[in-house]
Amino acid sequence: MAKEEALARKPLQVLEKIKENLEKLNEKVEVMIELQKHDRKDLQQPLSDAPLDVMTLLSMPDHLRKTAMTVCRLGRATADEVAEQTKRARAVESAYLNQLVIMSHLKKERNGRKAYFFVDRENHV
Amino acid sequence: MIEMGKILAVHSYKGGTGKTLLSINLAAAFAKHGKSVCLFDLDFRAPSLSTLLKIDKAECWLNDYLNALCDINKVLLDLSDRVGNSGKLFVGLANPSTEAIRDMSAKDRKWEMRALGRLLALKTSLLNDKGFDYLILDTSPGLQYSSINAIVSADLVLVATTFDRSDVDGTRRMLRELYDLFEKKTEIVLNKVLDGSLRSGKDDVDTKLKDVYQVPLLGIVPCFCDVLKAEGGVIFAEEKPEHPFTRIVGEMANRIENMG
Repeated sequence: MAKEEALARKPLQVLEKIKENLEKLNEKVEVMIELQKHDRKDLQQPLSDAPLDVMTLLSMPDHLRKTAMTVCRLGRATADEVAEQTKRARAVESAYLNQLVIMSHLKKERNGRKAYFFVDRENHV
Repeated sequence: MIEMGKILAVHSYKGGTGKTLLSINLAAAFAKHGKSVCLFDLDFRAPSLSTLLKIDKAECWLNDYLNALCDINKVLLDLSDRVGNSGKLFVGLANPSTEAIRDMSAKDRKWEMRALGRLLALKTSLLNDKGFDYLILDTSPGLQYSSINAIVSADLVLVATTFDRSDVDGTRRMLRELYDLFEKKTEIVLNKVLDGSLRSGKDDVDTKLKDVYQVPLLGIVPCFCDVLKAEGGVIFAEEKPEHPFTRIVGEMANRIENMG
């Protein structure tokens, strides 16, 4: 009986995994689209040491500053939560958030299927 | 929905525009209206609130809070008995010692990033949890790190300015190149206005200022000789409730209270 239940659960688990991977892939595609839109100019900073201080915020392009400021205010947020504040599309915010992660300004953490973005103020090297 | 308190940053391009006098009297005016107010001295390079309030010792300074050495509750000093009525007035002071000023001037970008986090956290700890209606941040003039941190944390920025030509130009630049970039709600307070400038009519000055700065004008404060003579030693809202300066600051407090 237990074996049958386990077998029945397996396709579901596989589908969940496929969905999760597709979401990750989608986020990466969104980042690539945004990078192409902005001609990769946003990525010209050193990646290893990039504290998100106010002078960095000031020097950012407007579209990224809005996203970064929202995360600063919220502390820790999903792309949905940021989009709700900025009134921009979730996919757009997801791309900007991932760009900020690539630039080492934000950290990203997964909790189940949700991705949380935050400024890692205490552990910034 | 319960309305949350607001953080106000009082800033200027140049020094000597009357930020601290405005901050302290605005805080006292809010308290007199029955509000709970916190006033913080974020001018770490030239602290002055401790002198104005005649307080030379504190269990903890704002420097300690930003250095993550203490909780914000240890910084707060209760001065509610000085304003009477049902309101509350608490202050947080910057350490005026030379050593502390030197220490704060030598902070790096990572420290400033953490300091911004601790300032942003005040929204929860003071406004949400403790129920303060207003947190007023008195800042250093110009583009200092601590001032920009305060501006980023604030819901409303009050810019104290005068008719001094370099102040007007600098303020205009700051409005475009600082506050606009952070999408901050900003109001101008024109301070130390000489009688002659007001002779053409207050409405005329209002219109001119709005043309120059393109942001709303919160108030115009004429140059009062007795305010200057007091050299910051008198809190007008507390000691001279009938003074015209007190009335003007009270009107500004009303306008802020009525903002959405």
